[in-house]
Amino acid sequence: MSDFIELGPLQLALATILIVGAGAVSMALRLGVERRLGVAALRTVIQLGLLGLILERIFTLDNPLLVVGLLLLMTMFAAREAVTRASRGYRGILIDAWLTMAATCFVIGGMVTQVVVGVEPWYDPQYVIPLLGMILGNSLTGISLCLDRFMDHLEVRSAEVELRIAFGATRREALAAPLRDAVRTGMIPIVNSMAAAGIVSLPGMMTGQILAGSPPLQAVAYQIVVMFMIAAAVALGAMLVVVLAGRHFMGVDATLRLDRMTSQSNQ
Amino acid sequence: MAAFLECGPFSASDGEGRVLFDDVSLSLADGQFVSVEGPSGGGKSTLLRHVTALAYSPDSVRRLNGENYNGAALPKWRSHVSLVAQDAPMIAGAVYRNLSFPFLQRAGCEKRFDEDRAAALMTQVGLERLPFDREVRTLSGGERHRLALIRGLLWNPKVIVADEPLAGLDPDIAAACLDLLLRFGRQPGRLLLCVLHDPEMSGRADRRLRLADGQLKGVA
Repeated sequence: MSDFIELGPLQLALATILIVGAGAVSMALRLGVERRLGVAALRTVIQLGLLGLILERIFTLDNPLLVVGLLLLMTMFAAREAVTRASRGYRGILIDAWLTMAATCFVIGGMVTQVVVGVEPWYDPQYVIPLLGMILGNSLTGISLCLDRFMDHLEVRSAEVELRIAFGATRREALAAPLRDAVRTGMIPIVNSMAAAGIVSLPGMMTGQILAGSPPLQAVAYQIVVMFMIAAAVALGAMLVVVLAGRHFMGVDATLRLDRMTSQSNQ
Repeated sequence: MAAFLECGPFSASDGEGRVLFDDVSLSLADGQFVSVEGPSGGGKSTLLRHVTALAYSPDSVRRLNGENYNGAALPKWRSHVSLVAQDAPMIAGAVYRNLSFPFLQRAGCEKRFDEDRAAALMTQVGLERLPFDREVRTLSGGERHRLALIRGLLWNPKVIVADEPLAGLDPDIAAACLDLLLRFGRQPGRLLLCVLHDPEMSGRADRRLRLADGQLKGVA
């Protein structure tokens, strides 16, 4: 597995020219994104650098508690990020997002690492961390899209929701349409990338594996597993988070409580 | 005589904290047309939202025919005490879907959507030319109002609570609509509670209530 070209500081410095070039375009066209680009680039370097250092350490220590601890930390960051991206919020949204992330990771991640791939030992960080990281990264997008759409539907189409309630709809019946709408929206990115995989885009993980010297068919096999895993995770996560969120806006009495919605999700 | 519909106490204030009504309760007999009048912005629509349990009022009691409804039984209450809202809300889709969805949205609904009766009612309110497959977003305000009213009548609940159902309709069509509503409300075991602006229309009510200064009082 050593048949790949190693990257050193010189190569990374050369790559910096690319981002500086993108910033120059922004300045030349007065797009005003150069500052955000700079901050984002800096964050990328710091966050990934830290992750690299942590991963190196965790790989050598080979301790299950450390792996689980890191995963918990990752779910918390993912939940926070998902919530900040939604344009509306409610009290307890962070807990709901975290519960969803944790449950999805546990169920889907557990199934993939333990049953499909069959990782030995069960916590082997080389497999567990990147696989669950991919679940989290994609669930994050799905869950935030889904939450956003759900609350948007409840607010913008409240008359329609209340019309159903006025004719005796139970909570489940009244929330069925917003729920469908939200889950569909949350699943669009993964469905799109599954449809385009291999034709329009070479998925990131597969690209990485090929660069690292894996046989292409092995990389493809892993990529298929990962795509299916992400689709299942997003579907499960989207459904779970909307069910949890729905309980805040409607009790068993099926009264729509829009007063519980905040415009900024800064909970 | 024991009341048919009893509910309350209801209290509500508007966005600025001004009290709309305070500690208001209703106790109404069946077989009647009851009108609610009062100044605009006085909380009549809000009161109807409380009666039909669309507004959150966990401390209120709701009783129909001696039976209590609260908590998880509120959906059942709403299917008996249905609101025909002022802005005639519609579900995206065709006329047919908008008339039939109440019968289809509930698992195990005993009522059946009667297409012939729907067509007959549409004729009575001047909508005979409106095809079932017409998209509701292409309807005029008046057409939507009449459709919402017909939907309420087709559902045939125990109580119809209507918020200005005749607003913006031509006088002869408004009269036809009121006749349909009266025929519904004056049956035994039925009741019509209606916010009306037109004093001539509310003059035909069996009982007239007036919401003003936060209190609900009978009109002599």
